[in-house]
Amino acid sequence: MNKYILSKKLFRNELATFYSFLIGFIIALVVGSLILLIQDKNPIDVFSLMLKLSIGSINSLSNSLNKAIPLILAGLGISIINSVKLWNIGAEGQIFMGALALNFVYINTSFSNSNIYIVLLLASGFLGGAVCILLPALSKVLFGVNEIITTLLTNYIVFGITIYLINGAWKDPASLNFPAAAYVSESVYLPVIIGKLSSGFLICILFTLIAYYIKDKSVFGYEMRIAGGSELTAVYAGISAKQKAFFAMLIGGGFAGLAGAIELLSQTHRVSTGISQGFGYTAIIVAAITGMRPIGIFLVGCLFGALTIGGSVIQTIGVSSYIAEIIQATTLFGALVAQFFFSYEIIKKSEND
Amino acid sequence: MNSPILEVKGISKTFGSIKALDSVDFYLQKGIVHGLLGENGAGKSSLMNVLSGIYIPESGSIKINNQKIEKMSPDIAASFGIGMVHQEFRLIESFTIKDNLTLSKASIFNDNFKDAYDKYSEIFALSSNYLTPVNELSVGEKQKVEIMKLIFKNSQIMLLDEPTAVLTPQETLQLKGSLEKLSQEDEKTIVLITHKLKEIKDFTERIFVMKNGKMVADNLETRKVNDKDLIELMMGEIKQSSFKKNNKKGAIKLEAKDISLKNSEQLLVLDNISLSVKAGEILGVAGVSGNGQVELANVICGIEKEFEGKVLINSKDVSKKGVKSRKKLNLSYIPENRLGVGLAPGVSVLDNSAIKEYFKASYGPHLSRGKMMTYLNDLIKQFSIKAPDVKAEISTLSGGNMQKLLMGRELISNPEVIVAAQPTRGLDVSAVEAIHKLIIDQRDKGSAVLLISEDLDELFKLSDRLIVLYEGKAIKEIDADLATIDTVGLAMAGIDE
Repeated sequence: MNKYILSKKLFRNELATFYSFLIGFIIALVVGSLILLIQDKNPIDVFSLMLKLSIGSINSLSNSLNKAIPLILAGLGISIINSVKLWNIGAEGQIFMGALALNFVYINTSFSNSNIYIVLLLASGFLGGAVCILLPALSKVLFGVNEIITTLLTNYIVFGITIYLINGAWKDPASLNFPAAAYVSESVYLPVIIGKLSSGFLICILFTLIAYYIKDKSVFGYEMRIAGGSELTAVYAGISAKQKAFFAMLIGGGFAGLAGAIELLSQTHRVSTGISQGFGYTAIIVAAITGMRPIGIFLVGCLFGALTIGGSVIQTIGVSSYIAEIIQATTLFGALVAQFFFSYEIIKKSEND
Repeated sequence: MNSPILEVKGISKTFGSIKALDSVDFYLQKGIVHGLLGENGAGKSSLMNVLSGIYIPESGSIKINNQKIEKMSPDIAASFGIGMVHQEFRLIESFTIKDNLTLSKASIFNDNFKDAYDKYSEIFALSSNYLTPVNELSVGEKQKVEIMKLIFKNSQIMLLDEPTAVLTPQETLQLKGSLEKLSQEDEKTIVLITHKLKEIKDFTERIFVMKNGKMVADNLETRKVNDKDLIELMMGEIKQSSFKKNNKKGAIKLEAKDISLKNSEQLLVLDNISLSVKAGEILGVAGVSGNGQVELANVICGIEKEFEGKVLINSKDVSKKGVKSRKKLNLSYIPENRLGVGLAPGVSVLDNSAIKEYFKASYGPHLSRGKMMTYLNDLIKQFSIKAPDVKAEISTLSGGNMQKLLMGRELISNPEVIVAAQPTRGLDVSAVEAIHKLIIDQRDKGSAVLLISEDLDELFKLSDRLIVLYEGKAIKEIDADLATIDTVGLAMAGIDE
């Protein structure tokens, strides 16, 4: 009697991740179209409007890319942490913590040269993100506590701290009861390059290259790969798997913290609950779709930024902006299923084997 | 003699190209303790898995109480009263002792659990309350619960796979008493699977011996057989060495002095071991697996740090040094566990090839992929490794090629000291030959080699000297020329004449 079993393919197509993404995206568009049809909207009209309003002009394109910045940076952080096969679900909290740390430094210091001050503030955002993941990182390496749970929980803690601060100590009296901290001075705004595109996008490109270098070209990245492959092999090779996990988490948290800092200095200009609109969660989708590859995260991040902008503008014609989120989530779902079929094959097996 | 309670005839079972069981006959008498002896891989566990319905044999018949069983399955085996204790416990850790004991649907003491528990916990000298969760028990106590589980589901034939491997000597003695009582008072039929000669002689009345999937001796009366005969049955004959042994030896390269190590259960796993290996010499470490070999290798290579005693490489004390600084003194370690320790699964062939000396391919924080590729290409050429795609996962290589990559990686830098654990386990004949030649070549180049193996053929063929590990002690040290299968085999079984 023959049985059919799933067997892992030994050799994967190099472009499997890319094809999986395409398949997932097409499935997502189909699903999105069906939902629009149910609502008596013509999908082609809606999608072309989304396209036009998200990348049709310099302004709309720069809006899209600005939205991509936090997705990309947080996604890169997640991918670095995943090098040691750990999952960071706490990018959302780290983004907020980056903004909080920036504001803390901003309130307590002053600096005459605004360029240097901006760099200092961005660095404090990075550190804030790293501090935010410190507790999950320590409990992971010292006690083996599951990092998925702890990083997720820190999101709620940091969000609570944010609410507390913007309703209390940091509350801006001029904000007319709207809970938010005071605006930062215009001198530390991130300059705009072209249209509305923030120079944060250049930082984003730089950090994409840095993440790529760390993961693929550095000794640290190599040691992370070995530690992620097998902790016993790492010990055998004289690599401290725990140390790699610890630093990978701090660096990854820092990337997300930087995202929060850039968001503050280029978009919101103050601490409020609007620092992130779920970027830290969407970043998980971005990172997972691309198989944790930095360049892929950059590209998909840009696409998802455009989708978010496109989704928000179609509200004007009476379509819910959630259509964009449905497309993003369905893309991940479709891509993961497609990746499965690229990684496994169904083979026939006789029972006596 | 009564007719046997269980009778098995002509059982065969193959896995791929390996004949795990080759027309095996086996029978058990009610109410006595049987021993099933054999080396690792002799087919003991496969036979037990057939009896408990886990493996379906290709041919052969099974009769229990003279009733032929057409189709075996774990359920059917259990309903005929066959129960097995596996080497890895099958207990639900968070459940209480009582819940674990009464979990089976065949459970017989549901109504009078307390009486039954009192009776059997006394037989097993288990002092815990039955409401204690299993995860609070020691390994030895878990073992007792595991065996009691068979009684509570009314198993008449109890198959115990290496039950003493996890026990202290006192607990082993206790187990012997418990099993004797069970066989006499409850008329349980017991099979003890082991490769420890001493236990088989102490515990059993009848002995069966397996080798290479065949039953080579059946129903021997334990009182009448002697150790030497058993060893010969178990180990077979040793082939003559095909390598010259008159190699030139140099200065002492590796020395271990008074090494002792306790495991996490505070049991002594290495007990005051001293050894030294000269340049151009192979010191073979014989012993049944689990007698301290892995721990000894880990101590020498710097992976295990909490030990007593000293390790010297080239007369330099490295006891407090880590793995990397020992590697820089040119120590190579070929671990027993290839995929999982020596090689990282899920990581590319290229990355795996650099594990020993990746720091040599680095400039500060930068890792040169070019240098890694050159190194790997050297390996592939020099050790004729077949690697279809170096960027693909390591598991795309065959077992032999994985081992060649691992050996090559550890040997290409012409190491001063080599620790090789089970270097040929699971490889086919031609790969074994190639690996042996590599080790001999390296010996002739002046490396000091510590060869840990369970394969006596291999040890006799390659080693200049042998030590035998038994329960963490080096109970015998002997020149390979003077060693015989009997002396080494007996020492492996814990008998030093």
